[in-house]
Amino acid sequence: MLELRLVQGSLLKKVLEALKDLVNDANFDCSATGFSLQAMDSSHVALVALLLRSEGFEHYRCDRNLSMGMNLGNMSKMLKCAGNDDIITIKADDGSDTVTFMFESPTQDKIADFEMKLMDIDSEHLGIPEAEYHAIVRMPSAEFARICKDLSSIGDTVVISVTKEGVKFSTRGDIGTANIVCRQNTTVDKPEDATVIEMNEPVSLTFALRYMNSFTKATPLSNTVTISLSSELPVVVEYKIAEMGYVRFYLAPKIEEDEDETKP
Amino acid sequence: MGIKIVVGRSGTEMLTNEAGEVTSHLQGMFSRTIRLLEAGIKPLYVFDGKPPELKKEELAKRYSKRVDATEDLVQAVEAGNKEDIEKFSKRTVKVTKQHNEDCKRLLKLMGVPVVEAPSEAEAQCAALCKSGKVYGVASEDMDSLTFGAPRFLRHLMDPSSRKVPVMEFEVAKILEELNLNMDQFIDLCILSGCDYCDSIRGIGGQTALKLIRQHGSIEKILENINRERSLDFLNFLYTVTLVPVMEVNSRRITFLDNWPYEQARQLFKEPEVCVDDNQLEIKWTAPDEEGLISFLVNENGFNIDRVTKAIEKIKAAKNKSTQGRLESFFKPVAIPTVPIKRKGSKCVHRSPKPTPKHKMFSVEASNSSRAKIIGNMNMPILDLGSKHHTPLSRGVCFGV
Repeated sequence: MLELRLVQGSLLKKVLEALKDLVNDANFDCSATGFSLQAMDSSHVALVALLLRSEGFEHYRCDRNLSMGMNLGNMSKMLKCAGNDDIITIKADDGSDTVTFMFESPTQDKIADFEMKLMDIDSEHLGIPEAEYHAIVRMPSAEFARICKDLSSIGDTVVISVTKEGVKFSTRGDIGTANIVCRQNTTVDKPEDATVIEMNEPVSLTFALRYMNSFTKATPLSNTVTISLSSELPVVVEYKIAEMGYVRFYLAPKIEEDEDETKP
Repeated sequence: MGIKIVVGRSGTEMLTNEAGEVTSHLQGMFSRTIRLLEAGIKPLYVFDGKPPELKKEELAKRYSKRVDATEDLVQAVEAGNKEDIEKFSKRTVKVTKQHNEDCKRLLKLMGVPVVEAPSEAEAQCAALCKSGKVYGVASEDMDSLTFGAPRFLRHLMDPSSRKVPVMEFEVAKILEELNLNMDQFIDLCILSGCDYCDSIRGIGGQTALKLIRQHGSIEKILENINRERSLDFLNFLYTVTLVPVMEVNSRRITFLDNWPYEQARQLFKEPEVCVDDNQLEIKWTAPDEEGLISFLVNENGFNIDRVTKAIEKIKAAKNKSTQGRLESFFKPVAIPTVPIKRKGSKCVHRSPKPTPKHKMFSVEASNSSRAKIIGNMNMPILDLGSKHHTPLSRGVCFGV
């Protein structure tokens, strides 16, 4: 038996919008801790980890650890039917092959039930170790989305380099090159407009912009985004969900080919 | 080192596309190889050597089929049936020695290594894959699996316009799911029909699998057949298949007496392959621009602008960084939760193991909602996995 009641239903709608282009099908895992998901895109280059902690729900009942396989496109279709102010309740019975989304209007005068078929998905969980990152950049999420969008009109890949100067996003394409440098800036009226750079070591990594642009679909979830970089690890692009958890995107870097490649 | 793909006997498949044009094989080879390079794949082409003795019969059959098709083509041309003309003209295509030599020359000029197998290309591919020199074997010939290629890819060379997802098979998983060992798998393939000896009419993939499961090897099956012998053979097959086998007549049963399955098995288990590193030249080099232009433009009348552009593409692909994959960084862990719903399926949805140096090939194997293995010319026709409606990405699904 599973029953999760989320007063701020729009959150779930936004979460689905952020995930559905990257991942087609995924297992949602429910435990006492919360409602979570880990899934990779079909080419196993990007991974998304979602956590909505149980405390963030108005009512959270999950008798035993469960996973529910869902098609995110279909789930998104159903959640689009919920109003932005609606309260969303996710319900599932043990052994059932469906999940129910219940939408209640704030005034309680309309209640809608949507039942969706579950899927059987055998997917692999990856263990993501806690790591110390060489550089962590926190910046306004809209700014980051704008940079990714702009750069993708010039090139396919972005080089993100963090130095003492700041964080530099650069690309190169047929028509030319582009460089955008963001400096640390904490003298702003609102804390969410700040750009904060913590750097232990300079780092420079190359990523496919296609994925970055897909990550920025999570921009409505949070005013700020945190980008954690280490030279040996995938980048982490994190959007915090206020008082509930996070959506974290991991992206494997592009690797330069070695020149001497005579022997396998 | 990136990922190298061995393409077995790709020549044959390419050429059937634009039949008639003398340079079509070069065109196909050129553009498809560039596509692979652009996707970050390092191809290694393997060409057939001398066919094994046992295959001569099969080759003779193919020859006669071609002769038939040639006759059909003449008729179709007379009748003016466009579809038939297209169909039969494809069947009449034969790869000549010259075609093969052209392809080899082209590949070498492109900086792509070429290996000439001592005998069967599939066997050589499998050996290269087993020794870890390449990531996988890409071919449309399912024999690659019988030769024990650890990882086998289908549809890699399909035209991009067809949008067929690449399908990856892992022999270890196939054996695990079929619950057979490699010797039994080879017997299964021989029983259901291979290039080296005739198949038995009435025994297809399903029956062969049942027979192997029941008896364990071809010898045991034959022993059983011999005990029950002749007239009882029909009944015997009937008990196994529960389907009356109408076509098995006495001629077919006597045929079993000198059925060369042992030789065929020998060919699969110990094929003639080259494993000497010094003899195998596996090296990806920069393209020879002048050589390509003189070969393609001057000798074969290709458009110079197109060739120059293509050379630029090859060079760009060589400099392009490869996309890393998450498995190179994070390792799989056990899933802590149980699914709310569990069908009785045995689908395996797993990713290929990462290569040691974080470089994987990144052709996307997109979802195929019905993983299905469909028989082609001479593979065991096992319609496995069609019971599953779960979308799979990568991996093999056997629903037996």
